[in-house]
Amino acid sequence: MFPNFRLSMAWLHTWFGLVLGFVLMVVFFFGSLSVFDREIDRWAIPQSRFEPQPMPSFDRILLPVFKDMKPTPEAIEQARSRVDGPMAETFPVQRWGAYTTHRDPVLGLFSGHELPHAKNKDDSVFGTRTIDPRTGAALPDDHLKIGSQFFYPLHYSLHLEWKNLGYWIVGFAALAMMVALVSGVVMHRKIFRELFTFRPKKHTQRSALDLHNLTGVVALPFHFIFALSGLVIFGGIYFPVTHTQLEPLYELHEKHEAQETGLPHEKAGVPATLASVDAMVAEAQRRWAAKGMAGDVGFLAVQHVGDANAYVSVYRAGTDRVTLTGEGIHFKGSTGELIREDPPVTVVAGINNFLTGLHLQHFRHWLLRWLYVLGGLSGCVCIATGFLFFVEKRKRQHAKQAVSGARWVDAFAVTTVTGMLIATFSMLIGNRLLPTDLPARGTMEQYLFWGAWVLACAHAIWRTAPMGEARMSPAWAEQCWTAAALAVAAVLLNWVTTGDHLLRTIGSGYWPVAGVDLALLAAAALAVVAARRLRRRALGPSVQAKAARSPEVANA
Amino acid sequence: MPDSLLYAVALVANLTGLAWLALSMDVHWEQVRGPVPAPRRTVVLLRWLGAVVVASSLAVCLSVDHGSMASLVWFMVLAGSALTIAFTLAWKPRLLAPLVAWVRGGDASPARQG
Amino acid sequence: MATITASRLHIVARIAAGTVGSYAFTWGFIALGIGLLFAAGMPFHDAEALGYILGFIVLLVAFLWAFCAASLVRVWLVLAGGGALMAGAASLVQKALL
Repeated sequence: MFPNFRLSMAWLHTWFGLVLGFVLMVVFFFGSLSVFDREIDRWAIPQSRFEPQPMPSFDRILLPVFKDMKPTPEAIEQARSRVDGPMAETFPVQRWGAYTTHRDPVLGLFSGHELPHAKNKDDSVFGTRTIDPRTGAALPDDHLKIGSQFFYPLHYSLHLEWKNLGYWIVGFAALAMMVALVSGVVMHRKIFRELFTFRPKKHTQRSALDLHNLTGVVALPFHFIFALSGLVIFGGIYFPVTHTQLEPLYELHEKHEAQETGLPHEKAGVPATLASVDAMVAEAQRRWAAKGMAGDVGFLAVQHVGDANAYVSVYRAGTDRVTLTGEGIHFKGSTGELIREDPPVTVVAGINNFLTGLHLQHFRHWLLRWLYVLGGLSGCVCIATGFLFFVEKRKRQHAKQAVSGARWVDAFAVTTVTGMLIATFSMLIGNRLLPTDLPARGTMEQYLFWGAWVLACAHAIWRTAPMGEARMSPAWAEQCWTAAALAVAAVLLNWVTTGDHLLRTIGSGYWPVAGVDLALLAAAALAVVAARRLRRRALGPSVQAKAARSPEVANA
Repeated sequence: MPDSLLYAVALVANLTGLAWLALSMDVHWEQVRGPVPAPRRTVVLLRWLGAVVVASSLAVCLSVDHGSMASLVWFMVLAGSALTIAFTLAWKPRLLAPLVAWVRGGDASPARQG
Repeated sequence: MATITASRLHIVARIAAGTVGSYAFTWGFIALGIGLLFAAGMPFHDAEALGYILGFIVLLVAFLWAFCAASLVRVWLVLAGGGALMAGAASLVQKALL
C-alpha cells in the first residue's frame, strides 16, 4: 500500500491516531482522575468524609452485613439473557469478599451468588454494599461514588456494557496508542536532537507539533506501559482462550490446583458453621509479622459460604509495594485451622503482578500518584495537540476546497477536550445541588454528565462555522470560559452545601476534599489562561503587533 | 534524611542533569549563551555530566523506596523534569545560564559587548 | 505527507486484514504459548499471564506489519494462516496433555 516503511507508519499514526484519539482522550483524562478516584468519592459523598479505616472485625461488623446481602436488581436484570427459562426467586450465596486500601474510609463488600438455570455452570450474580466500617451502617445505594463508580469505569469501559462493547473499543484504542507511539518514533527523525524543543511563539501548527512531540516522547515509557498493562489486565476479555479453546486444560488445572493447595474447588453439600474469622485474621497477621512483613489486611474472602468445604482467605494489602495484594493465608472455615500459606510468587507471577499493580496503583506513595496524574495529563495534551496539528495543517486547504473535514475534526476535538471538562464539572455541580434524598440520585448525576457533554458537542458544531473561512473556531475559548466558571462554581457549592471550604479542609489536613477543590481551582485558572491566549491568537496578527508596541509589553 | 528532602534532591539532580544534556545541543546552547556554539570538549563534558547526574538521581530514588517503586518514581520525575527544562528553554532560557556559567569561551551575549 | 495510490476499497481491505489477521495470529500465539509453557511445567496461571504479556506485543507487531506488507494476500496468509496453524497446534498439545 505504501512505497516505504516510514510512509506506512505516518499514515497509521495520522489516521488511527485521529479516529481513536477521541476515545484515548476520554481514557487518559478519566484515567488521570481515577488516580484519585476515592478522594473524588469523598467530595461527592460528604457522609464519607472521615479518615481511612483498616479492615474492621469480621465477626462483629462484617458478618451481620454479609448475611443480609443479596444480588442487586441490576445484576439480576443483566443476567436474564444468561439463564434458560424463568429467573429464580432466590440465589444461594457462594462467596463473600471485602477489599480495602489505605485510602478507603468506607468499605466495599461484595457477595457472589449462584445463578440457577444458568447457561454457563460457572456463572454467578453479585451483590454489593458500602458500609461505614466503624459501625457497619450501610451507605445509601444511590449515592453514586463519582470517582470509583463513574469516572473509573468510564475510563476502561466507556459505560458501554452491552456485550462488553466499551471494553473492546477501549482495548482497540489501547492498541492504537501503542501503534501511535511506535509509528511516532519512526516518523520523528530527530527524536533526541529535538527532545527539549518547544517553540510556543511560532504559528499554531509548529508549536502544536512541538508540544505533541514533547509530551509524547518524555512520557513515552509511561504511555506505552499503561496501554500494554491495561490490555494485559483485561486479557481474559480480549482473548478468552482458556475459557473456550483451552477450557479442558483449564479445568484439568483447576482440579490439580485444588488437590495441591487443599482449597476445595466445589462445595461438599454439607452445611457447616463459620468459626471466628477474627481469630484467623489475627493468626494471618502474626504469620506475616514473623516473616518480617507485618501489614494490614487488604482482601478478605470466604468461599463456599455455609458449607463444610468453606475456606477463608486473608491477603495482605500491597500498601508498601507495587503488587496489589499478596501473602495469602487460607483457613478451614468451620474450624479455623490453617490449610495453606501461599508460597512466594514465581518470577512470571511477579512480573504480571508488577504490571497490573503498576496500572491499578493501590500503593501508598503520594508523590508517585501525582506523577501518574502528570503522565496522564501529558497524554491528554499529546492527543489534543495532535488534533490541533491535524486541523491547522488542513484547514486552509479544506476551506479552499470547501471540504468540511477539518471543521468536523475541530468540532469533535473541542467536544473531547473542553466539552469533557464541562461535562465533568457539571456533574460535580449536580452532585452538590440535587436533593440528598432524591431517589436514583446517582442516575440523575449521570444524566447531567452526558447531557452537558451533548450540549457542549452541539455548541462546538454550531460554532465551528468560521473554520469554513480557515479562521479559528471561537468554540475553544467559549468553552474554556464556561469550564472555568463551572469549576469555580463547584468549589463554591461544596462550601455552601457542606461547610467544607478550603480554609477548613486545608487547616484540618483533610486532603481528599481540599485536593479536589484545589485541583478544580487550578483547572479553572488554566482554562482562563488558555481562553485569553486563544482570544489573542484569534484576533489575529494586527492586534498582536499593536499589543507588542504598547509600553507594558515592550518592557516585559 | 526525610523522604521529601531526598525526593527534592532527586528532582534537582534530574533537572540539572537534563539541563546539561539539553545545553550540550547547539540550538539550546545558543538560547542560553548566545550565537557562538560551545567548544567540542564542552559538549562532551556536558553530556557526561548530564548522564552521571541523572543516573545518580536514580540512586537517590532507590535509597528512599525499594526497587520497583523507586524506578517508577525516577522515570516519572525524569519526564516531569524534561517538561520543565523544555518549558524553561521556551520561555525563560536565561534561567539556565548559571548551570554553565563555569564554562569559558563560546559566550557572545550582548551584555559583554557593551 | 505523500499521497498514497490505494483506493478506498483497498484501505478498508487492508484495515480489515490488519485487524482480523493480527487478532487471529495473536489468538494462535497465546493458545500455543499457554499450551507449550504448561506442558513444559510452568504453573497454569503463570503460563496464562506470560501468554498475555507476550501476546499483546505480538498483536502490536502483527498489526504494524500488516500495513507494511507488500500485498494483502501475504497479510492473510501469514497472519490468519499462521494463527490457524498455531491454534491447531495448541489443540494438539491440549489433547496430548489430557
